[in-house]
Amino acid sequence: MLEMNGISKIYRTDLIETHALRNFSLKVGDGEFVAVTGPSGSGKTTFMNVAGLLESFDTGSYKLDGADVSRLSDEQRSRLRNEKIGFIFQSFNLIPDLDIYDNVDVPLRYRRLAAKDRDQRIKSALEVVGLSSRMHHMPSQLSGGQQQRAAIARALAGDPRFLLADEPTGNVDSLMARQVMDLLEQINEMGTTIIMVTHDPELARRAHRNVHIVDGQISDFRPYEPRAEIEAAAVAHGPAPMTMTPA
Amino acid sequence: MTAWNLRPIASALWRNRTGALLVAFQIAIGLAVLVNAVYIVKQRVEKISRPTGMDTANMIFVASAGFARDFDYDASWREDIATLRAIPGVQAASVISNIPLSGGGSSSGFQARPGETNPEKTVPGNTYLIDEQGVDALGITLSAGRAFEPQEILPPTPTFDAASQAIVTKAFAKSLFPDDPNPLGKTFFDGLSRPITIVGVIEHMHGAWVSWDKLDHVVLFPRIKTGPSAIYVVRAEPGRQDAVMREIEAKLGDSNPGRLMRWVRPMSYFIEQSYLDDRNMAIFLVSVTGVLLAVTALGIFGLATFNVSTRIRQIGTRRAVGARRMDIVRHFLVENWMVTTAGVVVGCAGALAVGYWLSVKYQLPRLDLYYLVGGVLAIWLIGLLAAWQPARRASAISPAVATRTV
Ligand SMILES: Nc1ncnc2c1ncn2[C@@H]1O[C@H](COP(=O)(O)OP(=O)(O)OP(=O)(O)O)[C@@H](O)[C@H]1O
Ligand SMILES: [Mg+2]
Repeated sequence: MLEMNGISKIYRTDLIETHALRNFSLKVGDGEFVAVTGPSGSGKTTFMNVAGLLESFDTGSYKLDGADVSRLSDEQRSRLRNEKIGFIFQSFNLIPDLDIYDNVDVPLRYRRLAAKDRDQRIKSALEVVGLSSRMHHMPSQLSGGQQQRAAIARALAGDPRFLLADEPTGNVDSLMARQVMDLLEQINEMGTTIIMVTHDPELARRAHRNVHIVDGQISDFRPYEPRAEIEAAAVAHGPAPMTMTPA
Repeated sequence: MTAWNLRPIASALWRNRTGALLVAFQIAIGLAVLVNAVYIVKQRVEKISRPTGMDTANMIFVASAGFARDFDYDASWREDIATLRAIPGVQAASVISNIPLSGGGSSSGFQARPGETNPEKTVPGNTYLIDEQGVDALGITLSAGRAFEPQEILPPTPTFDAASQAIVTKAFAKSLFPDDPNPLGKTFFDGLSRPITIVGVIEHMHGAWVSWDKLDHVVLFPRIKTGPSAIYVVRAEPGRQDAVMREIEAKLGDSNPGRLMRWVRPMSYFIEQSYLDDRNMAIFLVSVTGVLLAVTALGIFGLATFNVSTRIRQIGTRRAVGARRMDIVRHFLVENWMVTTAGVVVGCAGALAVGYWLSVKYQLPRLDLYYLVGGVLAIWLIGLLAAWQPARRASAISPAVATRTV
C-alpha cells in the first residue's frame, strides 16, 4: 500500500536546516491501521505530509499503491490526493462559509463527479458519521466532535484507499475522542488503510501497529503494545500485518 | 459545471457580502460613468475631427491693422497681396473678411424667393468676402461652377457686404432649394431681396462657429474686406507652412510704416481655440473615468487580496483534498466575476438612467447600446485583470498549510 525507503526531508530557513525526516523507511500494508507516536517536533506531521503528497521530500523513494510517486507533477499529486487519500486534520479544517453538506461536497466537486453521484456519496458519508440530520448546519453550529465527524465524512465521501489523520482527537474531549476512534475503526474494518498520529496512548493501543518516531527516524523503542500484537500473542496465530524497518 | 463550483461559491460569497457589495456598488458607478463618458468623448472627438472642407494643414492667416492718419488701405492690401503671392512656396493668397472656424464671423439670412416673409424659409449662411484667389487659398473643392474672376471682385463697402454673385456650399444650396439637385446658375435673395446668382458650388466647407448646426452653410462673395484692418489667407505648398510664415513676417513686418502687422498664424491655431472646450471636456472625462476605473480596479484587487489572505488555511485544505492550482485560480476568478457581475447589472441600469438624464438635460443623443455592451466587457476584463494576481498568489499556497496552520 505504502512503501517509503530512505526518505529524508530537510526544511531550510535562513538560519537553520531542520532534518525533519532522516533516512526514513516504512511499509504499511493494505487494510492496516497504524498509529504514529512520538515527541513533539519529532517529524510526525512531516511524515504525514509526505505520505499524503502534501509536501515533497529530498531523497529516497516512495511507492503508493504500487506506483512510484516521487516525481509527480503538482497536478498529478493533486489528483492522487483527491482520489486515493482522505485527510483528517487536528483542527477539522471545515470551510466556515459552507454548510456541512457543501463541505463534504468539496473534494467530490474537484473530482468532477456528477451531481447525483455526489449527492448519494455525501448523504451516505454523513449517515456513516451520524450527521444526516445536520447536513444544512454551518460548521460553527456544531460541537467540536461533530465538526470532526463532518470532516471524517468529507474524507470518506471520496472512497479513499488510504486515510491520514494527524491528531484527529487533539481538539476534542476524551469522550468525543473515543467516538472518533470508534468511527475510524469502523472505517478501517470496511477496508480503508489508516495512518493516525496521536499523543493518546490509549488510542494508539487500539491500532494494529504503532510506529514511534524520534528525531525524524523510526525508533525501536515502543512505548505501547499495539492491539494486534496483544491479540497475536493471546491467540497465537494470525501474523501481525507489519513490517517495520528501523533506520 | 461541477468544477466551476458556482453554487457553493455564490452561497459562501453571500455569507460574507458586505465587502463584496461595496465593491459591486463601486463597479456599478464605474460602469455608469464609463459608458456615458466614453459616449460623450466619442461625440466630441467626432466633432473635432469632422472634415472642414479646407486645406487647413497648409493655411496661414495674416492680420494687418492700418493706424496712420494717411493710411491708404487700398494701396496697402494690393501691395500686401502682391508680396504674399510672390513668396516662394505660396500657392495662393486672398483678402478675406473673417477666419473660418475661428469663432468669429458674420452670417446673414437668405431666401429662395424675393420678399419671403416666412422666417422658416430664411436660410442662414456664414458669409465671407474673398478675391479671385480665395477658393484656391482656402483649398476648397468646387463640385460645380467656377471660382471668381479677377474682374468680378468688388471694392470694399462700409454698408452691406453682399454681391450679385456667390459661391455657396452644397449644404446651403440644399437648404435653400431642397428639391433641386443642381443649384448652379440659380438665383437667391438677400435680406433686402437683392438677387444673387450662384456661380460655383462648394462640395463642403465649414464656417465660423463650430457648435452651430449651420456650420456648413457657407456663402462666399467676390468683394474686398472693408479697411483699415485687413486679413489675408495664404495657402502654402505642402510642408512649407513654417518657411512661408517666416518669410511673411520678414517681408510684411516693416514694409509699410503706416500699419501694424498684428500676427501671422497657422489655421490650426484657430481650430484649436474653437475646439478648446470640446477638447478640455474630452480630456476631463477621460481623466475622471481613468481615475474612477483605477479606483474600481483597486477595489476589486483589494477585495480579492483580502479574501485570499483571510482564507489561507481554507485554500490549503482545498488543495489537500484535491484542488489543483488551476482550480484555486478559477475559484477566485469566479468569485470575483460574481461580484463584478452584480455590479455590472446594477451599473447597466445606472448607465441607462444617466444616459437618459443627459439626453433630456443637455439634448445629447441617447446612449448607444453598443457602448453599454462594450462597457460591460471592459469591466469584466478589468475585474479579471485586477483579481488575477491575488488568484495566482492563492494558487501558490502550499497544501501543507492544511496541517501546519492552527
Ligand atoms: N515549514 C517548516 N519550516 C521549517 N521547519 C519546519 C517546518 N515545518 C516543520 N518544521 C520543523 O520540522 C520538525 C518536525 O516538525 P513536525 O511538524 O513534523 O513535528 P511533529 O512531530 O508533528 O510535532 P507535533 O507533535 O508538535 O505536531 C520540527 O523541528 C519543526 O520545527
Ligand atoms: Mg504535528
